[in-house]
Parts: sequence; structure tokens; C-alpha cells
Amino acid sequence: MQRRYRTIPDLKVHESAHALAFEDPALAGKLTAMGLLPGTLIEMVRAAPFGNAYYIKADGVRLALREEEASSILIDV
Amino acid sequence: MSEVREKLLNIALVGNPNCGKSTIFNQLTGLRQKTGNFPGITVEVKEGRMQLPSGRQVMLTDLPGTYSLYPTSSDEKIVASVLTNPKDAHYPNVVVYVADATHLEKHLLLLTQLLDLGLPVMMALNMSDTADEIGIKVNASVLADRLGIPVVAISGRTGANIQKLIGEIEKLFDTPTLPEKHFYPLQEVEKQVAEAVCLNFNLANAYQALLIAHHHEWLPFLSEQNQETIRAIVQDKGLASLRFQVDETLDRYDRFTPIVQEAVQRPPQFPSTPTDRIDAVATHRWWGPLLFFFVMLLVFQAIYDWSTVPMDLIEQFFADLNVWLTSILPSHWSTDLITDGILAGLSGILVFIPQIAILFLLITVLEEIGYMARVVFIFDKTMRRFGMNGRSVVSLISGGACAVPAIMSSRTIGNWKERLITTMVTPFISCSARLPVYAVLVGLAVPDKRVFWIFSWQSLTFGSMYALGVVAAFASGYLMKKVLHTRESSYLAIELPVYRMPHWRNLWLTVWEKVGAFVIGAGKIILIISMVLWALARFGPGDAMAQATLKAQQDAQTQQLNKTEAADLQAAYHLEASYAGYLGKVIEPAIRPLGYDWKIGIALIASFAAREVFVGTMSTIYSIGSSEDDFVLREKMKTARFEDSGTPVYTLATALSLLVFYALAMQCMSTIAVVKRETGSWKWALLQFSYMSLLAYLCAWLVYNVFA
Repeated sequence: MQRRYRTIPDLKVHESAHALAFEDPALAGKLTAMGLLPGTLIEMVRAAPFGNAYYIKADGVRLALREEEASSILIDV
Repeated sequence: MSEVREKLLNIALVGNPNCGKSTIFNQLTGLRQKTGNFPGITVEVKEGRMQLPSGRQVMLTDLPGTYSLYPTSSDEKIVASVLTNPKDAHYPNVVVYVADATHLEKHLLLLTQLLDLGLPVMMALNMSDTADEIGIKVNASVLADRLGIPVVAISGRTGANIQKLIGEIEKLFDTPTLPEKHFYPLQEVEKQVAEAVCLNFNLANAYQALLIAHHHEWLPFLSEQNQETIRAIVQDKGLASLRFQVDETLDRYDRFTPIVQEAVQRPPQFPSTPTDRIDAVATHRWWGPLLFFFVMLLVFQAIYDWSTVPMDLIEQFFADLNVWLTSILPSHWSTDLITDGILAGLSGILVFIPQIAILFLLITVLEEIGYMARVVFIFDKTMRRFGMNGRSVVSLISGGACAVPAIMSSRTIGNWKERLITTMVTPFISCSARLPVYAVLVGLAVPDKRVFWIFSWQSLTFGSMYALGVVAAFASGYLMKKVLHTRESSYLAIELPVYRMPHWRNLWLTVWEKVGAFVIGAGKIILIISMVLWALARFGPGDAMAQATLKAQQDAQTQQLNKTEAADLQAAYHLEASYAGYLGKVIEPAIRPLGYDWKIGIALIASFAAREVFVGTMSTIYSIGSSEDDFVLREKMKTARFEDSGTPVYTLATALSLLVFYALAMQCMSTIAVVKRETGSWKWALLQFSYMSLLAYLCAWLVYNVFA
């Protein structure tokens, strides 16, 4: 059976997808205020040098997210 | 709510982080600003005076940058608590909202919240020049019309249209028009809560009431009884705070996004920008960390290399001044006070202005260009291992300049435990006040020989002092992580801003402000302490001083000393018989295991107020008696000997032990005060003080015994 959604860490470098929903309500408040909304196009830029964090672009805005934060954001397939 | 108070007119600058607010603040206030970054001043925000075209003076407040009135860290909370409380001293009569023209679609959320609060707002559309360059066209008049507020396109960097902005501010003062537009229509539950809060607290604005309801747990202006009342309302109506906040935010986007689409024309595609190309290296797997260490190396190299010439000049100036004053002033105790007390104390510290200025300059440059956010990203994982947050890196690096602003910068960390650990370990990082102490001691005891071609033993010792501080900070962080427990979640989620050239005006103002604060703040303490010390060293209990004179004369005769030698002997006997000597002797048994004599004891006691006092104190102690000599402290310290054994005091072992003690001990009243304020209790401040002092003592003892 195929999964209907992925999360940000599933993205390959330079791959893009649209955000669908947030699993962590507190983080959702913060991210929406920063401009990452459901529907925003997210591009994976690179992983952090020592791992555990990602550099992404959300609609042109550069953001750094931790592994847990990134994996709480559902994206389309 | 917004009646114009004639006396205290306030303007607040509000905007998202990285919108260029501080640049505009500096443009508007110049040198007429004061900072909340230094001891004694407990203002939590920056404020400065500015004059409007009519000649009216107004107070401009630079509130911390925030994305929304739903804060996640304590600096963001300041904004929400000021703007929801008309009784707050900083509550604005007029708000200037600063928005980044290149990312307008992300910068209007907070503005619509301000409009719903019913504040008289105008918009400064910043970075209009950059927007032009990359082909983004913003139609200011469409924006002004749709938002119902004045909009001025400006550039904080070039200063373009700043005068026009000031003119608009004046107009808004004269006719404080309240916003007509309201953006967010409250949902049914929110309406009920807002109405109940309005009724209970006699408020007129529903959105203000709603925000107070959301934030009642922490808003500082609510009494416990108020909180109780609101808690009951919130529970009764079932206001699930988080979900409503997100819904509100999304609804606001839906309402202002069409306005942005109408007012902004952007090129079809984002070209690959310089920021992307720089980040390909700066956040690269290998190059990123390597670049960071290279940058840090460069910073320290600059501190020592660029500062030698100005430092020599300042040192020479004070030596000349001292000689000149001694020659023209009458031989009197007041002359001694000026030359041996005040001048000795002051020169000891003013000499370090060049190094402190360079350090602050370079740290400000790293922040201004946007590099610090990348460091946060790279080292978040590392910092978490030691109980901290990526953002702690900013505090730790700033701690290299001064722990006080560094600890205050930890306010951006949302998680209590991570912020507390950052606060507790930051003072281990060698700050600029330790520089003078290191410089004197290293120069004294470590040979100036080269090793491995480029390094000298002296610079290696210096480097290891910094390394020691870093190791102590991380080890303590790890320890605290294991001891403290919290369930509060922790976030990184940080914006990596576009790289920008640093703005010379911001740099100059920051360095001016920090160095000024250092000279005045630390200068005052040093001045007082060096005067007190001078008095303590000059006078003694009962007839002790007279007897010392007598004894010195007898001994000089029996030893057949010449005039200078006799004078020095008398000076030495005097110091020993003085109050200062008495104090030093009292603590000598406690510090002898570390290799210190009672003279160092005096300096140690004085240093508990501020560690930079060490050099001034030593200068004062060693210049007592033979003030016609040159001012160079090191030479005098080199000849110092233990009185009982006659062995030199400043051996390598003593100097290293002192270095380690000063690297690790908490000797700074300002830091203790700021830790108390930021953690809200004496508990942590005292714990930190005891822990650091104990660790310093043990490590110094260990080092002395290894090298002795």
C-alpha cells in the first residue's frame, strides 16, 4: 500500500513539494507566523553538516528546521 | 485608548526579525539612544529621542522583532505585553511598522494584528532599493489604500525617504487616525471570551481582550486575581488557545494575500541569488564548519594584531601624563592619590579599549551580515548534546565580548531549560574583561619564544585560556542537562536571512555604545575601587604606619641601603602595615596553596566586584612608594618575591594558576545582577557564583601543583 503523504526529511536535495498539514500544534503556530503555511512550496536545500537539521526554502524564505520539526510537517507526494 | 498624551509621546518601531528595524532606529535617533544592555539600566528595549520637523521631541522605542503577537520566546513576549497594555511606559501613541519590501507577503501578518488592536499605525516599506534591484515592484499607494494607513517606501541603508517618513510620523501625531480596517472577524467562542474580558476589565477593543485571554498565564501586568478571573472565562467558554491561534493566523493570510498580489509585481522566477551561492559554502558539510573555525581564528588574530599600535600609544600617554603630573603637582598626599590611585587604576583598563572595540566590532559584523543564523543552524545538534539550543551559539560567541549582553541575547531561546543552561555557562567564556588580566600574566611568565613556526608560547597560552573557558562551559552544560528535567518542547525553527553588507552606521553606533558602556560602567567601579585601595594601602590601623617608617629607617641603616633602596624598603613596609596589607594577610592562608602572596590576595578581593580591576589594583599596589618610576606593571611584578622564602612570586606556576583562576571564577557583579534578573531569582545567580568560584579554586590549585 502506498502512503498518501510524506514529511520534509523524505525530500531529496533540490526536490520540492507542497506543505499539507502540521502534526505539532505549537510548532504550527510558530511556522505559520513565519510564513510556512499549508500549500506553501517547500524545497529541500541541504542537511546540516552534523545532521539532525535541514535547510529548506519555503516560498523563497530560507528556514532551518530540526529533524523532529521537519518530520512533523506533512507534504504531498 | 489612544488619546494623545501631551507629555510623554511614544513611537514604537515594530516588525518581523530581519526587517531592518534597527537600521531605521539608528537612522532616526543617531547617538541619542540608550541601551538596556548594560548593568544599572533595567530597560528591556532600546529607546532614543528624536525630533520631529515641528521641533517636538518624542521617544522612539525599538521593540524586539517578532513574527506575530503569539510569542514563543521571552523577547517576543515583550512586544505582546507592551502592545496589550495601555498603561505600559512604552505603550506607543504611534506605531511605525517596518516591513521588508522584498518579502512583503510574509511581513503583513503582524501588521494586521496591530490594526485590529486599534493602534494608530503607519508603514515604513523598507529595503525598497533592494526590491528595485531584484525586479520587485511594490505599489505603495495601492497598499496604503487597501490597508487604510500611510505607507512610505524607504531605505534604511541609504537613508532615502527618511525625512518623508519623519514627516508622516508628525502628521500621524497631529491627527492620530485610528485604523478603519479590521482584518480578523472573531469566531463565536473568541467573541464570547473577548466580551467577557472587556466587561471585566473595562476594555473597548475586542482583539486586545482576546490577546489578553490567550496570554493570561504570563502577561506581567495581570495580578494573580486577574489571571484567575480570565482563566475561569477561558475554561468556561472553551478557548483552546493553540488551535484558535493557528486558525486566526491562517485566516489573516487569506485576507491580506490578495492585497499583496494586487500591490506587488515580482519577476516570474527567483534567480540564484548570492545568498544561495554563499550558503553552498557556508553551510556545506565540510566547508561550513571549517569556515566557522577560520572566522573565529581571524577574529582572535585581529584582536591581538590590530590593537598593538593603539595600545602602545595609550600606555605611553598615561606614562607621560603621570611623569608630567608628578613634576608639576606639589608633593602632597592628594598628588599621590591622583597618580598612584586614580591614574594607575584608569590606565590599567583604558589600555584595553582597542581590543574591546575590535571584538565588539567583529561580533556585530557577524550578526549584521546574517552569518550568526548559519552558525546556529550548523551547531544546533552539537549544542543540544550539551543541553543547549543552536541559538546558544550566539550567546556563547557574544560572551567573548561581555557576558551581560550575551546572557540577555539568550532571550530568543524559547525553552526554559536550554535558556537557563545557556545563562549559567556563558560566563565561562573568556570575556573582554579577562583580556587585560591574561595580557599582563602571560606577558609576565610565559617566554616569548616561537614554536611550530607561526605560533608563540604566549599566543598558545592565550588560546588555551579561551579553550579552557569553552571546555568548562560545555562540560557544565552537559552536567546541567543530566540534572535538570523539563517536559517543555524545544524548537530550532529559525529564519536564515539574506546576506547583507554590514551598515557602517549600525556598526559604529554599536561599537560606540558598547565601548562607552564599558568605559563608564566598568570605569566607575574601577575608579572607586582604585581610590579605596589606594586609601587602604596608604593608611594603617593605629600607629602601625609610623612604626613601619621607624623600622624601615633602622633596617635601611643596618643594611646600609642607598636612598632609592631605602625608599622602596619603606614603601614595602608601609604596604604590609596598611589596612590593605592586613586584609591580604587575612586571606593569605587560603590562597597560598594556589601560589599567591598577600598582594595578589588584595587584588583577588578587589576583583570580586569586576575582574578587570585586577590590573588596576596591581598597578596601584606596585606603584605605591616609587611613583617616579615608569608605569609598566610587568617589570615591577617580575621583581616581586615571597617574603618568607625569598623566591619569586610570579613563577610560571603562579601565573598559570592565576590565569586559570581568572578564566573560571565568577568575578563580575554585573553578570550576577543580570543572571538574577533574567532567571527571576537569586537562586541561580548564587548557585552559579559558588559553582564557578569553587571550580576556579580547585583548578587553580591543581595547575599550581602540577607546574610548581
